[in-house]
Amino acid sequence: MIAALWHNLDYAASVILFCIGLYAVITKENLIKKFMGLNIMETAVFAFIVAIGVVDGGEAPIMGPGVEPPFINPLPQALILTGIVVALSTTALALSLIIRIWRQCGTIEANELREVE
Amino acid sequence: MMRRALVIFVLVAVAIPLMLAMAELPRHGSPDAPPQTHVAPYYLEHGPEEAGAENIVTAVILNYRGLDTQGEVTVIFTAMAAVVAVLVAGGAGVPADRAAAPATTPVSLIVRFIVRVLAPFIVLFSVYVILNGHVTPGGGFQGGTILGALLIALTLIMSESDARALLPQRPERLLQAAAPLTFFAVGMIGLLLTGDYLAYPHSGPTIWIATLMLTVVEIGIGIGGAMVVATIFRTMGADR
Amino acid sequence: MTPWPPLLALLIVVPLTGAVITPVVGRTRAVRSANWSLGVMLATSVIALVLVVQVARAGPFSYVVGGWLAPYGIELRFDEFGAVIAVICLLGTLAMVFSRRYAARAMAEQRIPYYYALLLLNLTGMIGFAVTGDLFNLFVFMEILSLSGYALVAVSGEKIAEMAAFKYLIMGAISSLVILLAIGILYALTGSLNMADVTERLGGAPAAPLAVAFGALTLGFMVKAAAFPLHIWLPDAHAIAPSPVSAILSGLVVKVGIIGMLRVYQIAYGSGAVDMRTLNHVLMWLGALSIVMGAFFAVFQDDIKMMLAYSTISNIGYIILGLGLASSYGMIGASVHVFNHAIIKATLFLGAGALIFQTGKRTLTDLAGVGHAMPWTVAAISVGAISIVGIPPTAGFVCKWYIALGAVQAGHPFFAFALVFGALFIFIYYIRMVNAFYFRQPRDPAILEVTEAPASMLVPVLILASLCLIMGVMGSVPLSFIEPAVHRLLLPLGGG
Repeated sequence: MIAALWHNLDYAASVILFCIGLYAVITKENLIKKFMGLNIMETAVFAFIVAIGVVDGGEAPIMGPGVEPPFINPLPQALILTGIVVALSTTALALSLIIRIWRQCGTIEANELREVE
Repeated sequence: MMRRALVIFVLVAVAIPLMLAMAELPRHGSPDAPPQTHVAPYYLEHGPEEAGAENIVTAVILNYRGLDTQGEVTVIFTAMAAVVAVLVAGGAGVPADRAAAPATTPVSLIVRFIVRVLAPFIVLFSVYVILNGHVTPGGGFQGGTILGALLIALTLIMSESDARALLPQRPERLLQAAAPLTFFAVGMIGLLLTGDYLAYPHSGPTIWIATLMLTVVEIGIGIGGAMVVATIFRTMGADR
Repeated sequence: MTPWPPLLALLIVVPLTGAVITPVVGRTRAVRSANWSLGVMLATSVIALVLVVQVARAGPFSYVVGGWLAPYGIELRFDEFGAVIAVICLLGTLAMVFSRRYAARAMAEQRIPYYYALLLLNLTGMIGFAVTGDLFNLFVFMEILSLSGYALVAVSGEKIAEMAAFKYLIMGAISSLVILLAIGILYALTGSLNMADVTERLGGAPAAPLAVAFGALTLGFMVKAAAFPLHIWLPDAHAIAPSPVSAILSGLVVKVGIIGMLRVYQIAYGSGAVDMRTLNHVLMWLGALSIVMGAFFAVFQDDIKMMLAYSTISNIGYIILGLGLASSYGMIGASVHVFNHAIIKATLFLGAGALIFQTGKRTLTDLAGVGHAMPWTVAAISVGAISIVGIPPTAGFVCKWYIALGAVQAGHPFFAFALVFGALFIFIYYIRMVNAFYFRQPRDPAILEVTEAPASMLVPVLILASLCLIMGVMGSVPLSFIEPAVHRLLLPLGGG
């Protein structure tokens, strides 16, 4: 299994990144830190999907004179462009919710907020 | 201690199955893996002439998976509507001592000068990125973000009222919806011309119409994206 | 007569575009945005009706957007499960009507156009989710409906609304991410995103990634559906949201998890490459746990909307149990309960919303005796309560009966027992509610002075309540409608 993982090192790295993000989401009390953990998880999944498209020795999939195959798979890149926009949107909404929570409760620490409730 | 053990257990329980799955996936970078042999070769082979874009990523975004992109611009519009709906007319119940944050951060003369000097060049660059998306890396989103970043930078160095004057007032809400609206308009034109929603007449004597439609979509995404990003930033910064 | 093929694309883009125009229309006067969004919803309903009639006549059909053929472009596929769009349009329209008076009082004027825009976007996201045949497109529509859902919870103006919305957002975003990860793995294995194409090409794929992908999809969709241990985001979010939004969230948005699960089954059973037995066992237990625990918590709630929120968890449990049984009766019962529960729960939430709107009180203790002051609303709520318990002449009975039959058919009579046990609990708490409304002494005599809800609230509630009865009497219509889809789904298993 280790040998197989060695070949898929990029995928394994994204799993590690995913777990780092998950760790932050679970353990951090500060809502912004919690959400940054989620952003790290998102980055991990995006990195994984982009890595699927990699071809050994491939070039960017932009045609024109003087470029030759192999090309890198364009589909994951197009998907992740969408994914990044989705992540940006979620972040914007989460931050505005945090701003509101701060204004109403005067804190954004989850443990203090539980007391406020 | 108990809590830490639980966290470690959760992380291990997530990591091990994922690692096992990753180990058995087709080898990273292999040209024979299914993603490299099934759909993508079609894009690479037919993209330039079918979709009229040398940048295949752009071809996929605007042509083959156009509905995804229409959904995507709607997602970012949703985020803007959500931020405005959440933050507008708020402000009630602010604890007095916490609300006393400074209203504006003082900006140094150097920053102000540099932003003003660079502004026209940033606009030029963003227009270039938007219009050249089909031959170079870039496109509506990337260019729109650059333009949006410029709007944010200008908002930071200006007073509240000057920053407001930066964006057109009356058609503001129309411009915020520019990206989904141009997608709909172009999609309907495609429906009229070819009989399919979001199709472009890529062959025959009307090929210039397809090019025009693609350019309009890119500009729409660019303007809409910039407006949405700037609006989100301004709404968050407003009425402290 | 075949309808015009691009109609399937218009079904999505008409409300999508209508939604982004809503703030423009409502720039000067907020009430215009209400009229506009109602008009958009009615237009969408007409399109949806044509498509549902078509699928009932001639079976599933598909449309490729932009004329790019299936694995290369995005395919929209409309099958019997997709007919849930009829309920989406119905509830959407009624919630828009109900919102008119509600929003005018509960929200600031500037907020109203964005409220309607978000409501329309939420409904559009669900419509797109139900009809798309492409995995990544599914994700995009899921994000539209999730993002607007989080925001709609936050706009109610209640004290802890933002906190509830944030909790919902974190859980929702993680589940979306898990689903995206699974889509990535499926793409790495097959090289395709089209569901039908993925189904065909999944044979011979290595076992571990397959197991993780389908496990992740199930996990993600179970969070969206709020199955028992993953439900923690639901009660606050659904109880605190504005009442019309609660009706949409509880009636429809949690069903997104179920529709997603049906798509997972279509891929898993169709390809024959995935052994779903372990996963089905997990689902059965999740379902049974949700039924019992949801009902158990509901008994102890005094807040009427909180009680309804827990009752949703319990009812979702029935649906999940029906899916996990993988027998034809169970599957049919579960699919029809998706429709029926949406109508019943919308009756209850809108009715409760009308009560809260008129009286300003939201606990059963405070609302005691309200049945004499608002007879029509409370009568409608009572019909909803009888339906959700599953007493024979109403909509709830047929599905629960089918799911119980399915449990016996699949050789798990124990789960039929859990089902009856849960129904007993549900009976207790709805009896408690109806009893409080009609027979308990009012705590505050002022409640007897309250007038009946305004027409824009009462009419939607009454329409829904009569639908509860009609769906009960004509229970066989949806059953025979969904049957071919379920048989097609279970065919690879040997006809169920």
